[in-house]
Amino acid sequence: MEEEIRRLRMPLSAEDALSLRAGDMVLLDGEITITAGLPTHHRIIEVAEGRREAPRDLHGGGLFHLGSYSRETAEGGFEVLYMNPTTSTRFNGLMPGLIRHFGLRAVGGKGGLDAGCVEAMREVGCVYLSFVGGGAPLLSDAIRAVVSVDWNDLVSHYRLVTLRVEALGPVTVGIDAHGNSLYGSLSETAAARMPRIMDDLARARAQDGAEEVT
Amino acid sequence: MPITYDMMKRATAQLYEWSLRKVPDDTLEALRRARETETNEVARRTLGILLRSAEMAETQDRLVCSDSGVPNFVIGIGTGVRLEGDIKRAVSDGFDELVATTNPPLLKHVTNPLTNERSYRGKEMPLVTWDLIDGAEHVDITCQPKALGSGRWAAMEIFTFPTLEQIERYVMDCVLKAGSQHCPPVNIGVGIGGTFDYCAKLAARATLRPYGTTNPEPILAAMEERLLKAVNATGFGPMGTGGDTTALGVHVEYAAGHGFTPVAVAFNCWINRRTRARLYGDGRLERVE
Ligand code: SF4
Repeated sequence: MEEEIRRLRMPLSAEDALSLRAGDMVLLDGEITITAGLPTHHRIIEVAEGRREAPRDLHGGGLFHLGSYSRETAEGGFEVLYMNPTTSTRFNGLMPGLIRHFGLRAVGGKGGLDAGCVEAMREVGCVYLSFVGGGAPLLSDAIRAVVSVDWNDLVSHYRLVTLRVEALGPVTVGIDAHGNSLYGSLSETAAARMPRIMDDLARARAQDGAEEVT
Repeated sequence: MPITYDMMKRATAQLYEWSLRKVPDDTLEALRRARETETNEVARRTLGILLRSAEMAETQDRLVCSDSGVPNFVIGIGTGVRLEGDIKRAVSDGFDELVATTNPPLLKHVTNPLTNERSYRGKEMPLVTWDLIDGAEHVDITCQPKALGSGRWAAMEIFTFPTLEQIERYVMDCVLKAGSQHCPPVNIGVGIGGTFDYCAKLAARATLRPYGTTNPEPILAAMEERLLKAVNATGFGPMGTGGDTTALGVHVEYAAGHGFTPVAVAFNCWINRRTRARLYGDGRLERVE
C-alpha cells in the first residue's frame, strides 16, 4: 500500500545528511545513541569540555532523545525492553554546543528544536529526525542488539545507550541540514493564520447566535 | 457488601495497567476518521503509524508509550456504598504493587520537584481527586496517567467578565504555545469559571470526555465545534510535523463563578490515556472504557 521508504545507514554519512529534506520519511539501520536525561546532557558537556572521560565516541554520530528501559542480564550484559522519544525542546539550550563539538550528523526525538539549534545543524550538516511518541512497540521492535549502556548509575531513561537497529521508524525529517525546520515554519504559519482564524471564529459566533459581530 | 481495602487496591492497580496498554476505542475511531480526511501525505502516514502502534500494544499486550507517566485518578464514591478499611492508602499501595509486579517494569517518572530526583514514590502520589455520586452503589474509578504531553502544556488565566471572543483567543494562544510538542493529535479540555482550583479540575475533567460527545449547554456545544475547526486550521498536524489534524476534539466544561472568570486549557496527547471502571461491593470490576 505504502510506497518504498528510503533506508539510511547510521551513523549518517555527510552526503546522506545533506541529501535529506524536511518532510522526508526514512527508516534507519545501524548504530544510534539515545538518552532522555538532562543530567546526561550535562555529563556530555563535561566530556566536551574535557572534564569527564567519554564512555564512547560520539563524534559524527546520531544522538537521539529517546528514553529506554534497560536492565542487566544474567550474563552480565544489558537488554533494552522498550524505547520511545521524549520532548527535545527542553534541551534547546544545550544542543547547539553538542552538535558543534561532536559534529553530530543526526539528532532527534519529538517536538523539534529551536532556531539556535537549526543554525548549528546547518553549520555542521546535521538533521533532526522526528520519532512518533506513543510508538514504543513499533520502535522497540527495531532493536537488534545493545551495543553499550553507559552511566548506569542514572535512572534507566537517562542512561547513555547505544543500540544497533534495523528499519527503525519511519521517522520524519523535522529539520534538515539546510536550515529548513518544519517546526519553525509551522509555528510561523500558524501565527500568520491567527488573524484569519480569529475572524472565522467571530463569524461562526455570529452565525451560532452567540455574539454580535462588532 | 462493603468495598474493601483489598478490592480498591487491586482495582486501581488493574486500571493503571490497562491504561498503559490500550488506546481508548473512541480515540482509535477518531484517528481512523482523521486519516481518511487528512490531506497532508506525511500526516496521513503518521496517523497510520500511530494506529499501528496502538494496535500492536493492544494485541501483543505491550506498553503504547515508554512514558508511563505518574498515577492520577478521579474516584467517585457512590453514596450507597459501604467502605471498609483504609481506602486512600489502598490507592497508593495499589500503585506500589503495580510497580513491583508489572511486566515489563515501568520507568521511574515520579519526580520530587525540589530535587528533580525520580523514583516510583513521592509526596501525595498517586494524585487523586475524590468525588461523590449520589445514589450510586458502586465506586467509579478513572485512571489518567499524566506525562509531559498530557500535562506540561496546560495553562490558566483569570479574566474579569470575559467575552466569548476573549475565551476563544486564550485557548488559541495556548494551542500556539504548545505547537508541535505534545504528541498531537490531542484532546483539548477547557474549563471556564468556578475558582482557580475548580477551573483546573473542569479542564481536566473535560479531557476525560470521549470524542463525539458534546456539552449539553448549546453555547458550549457550538464553541466546541468552532474551536476544533480553529485548532485544526493552525496546521501543526500529527506529531507536529504538519497537517490538518492537530486536535481530535475540544471539550469545554463550565461552572458558575464570580465575575472573575478563570479559563483553563488542558491537553491530552494522542494516546489519550484514560481507563474507567466501576467497582461493586461483590468485588466485580466492570470496565467501562
Ligand atoms: S506525549 Fe503522550 S504519547 Fe507522547 S511521549 Fe508523552 S506520553 Fe507518550
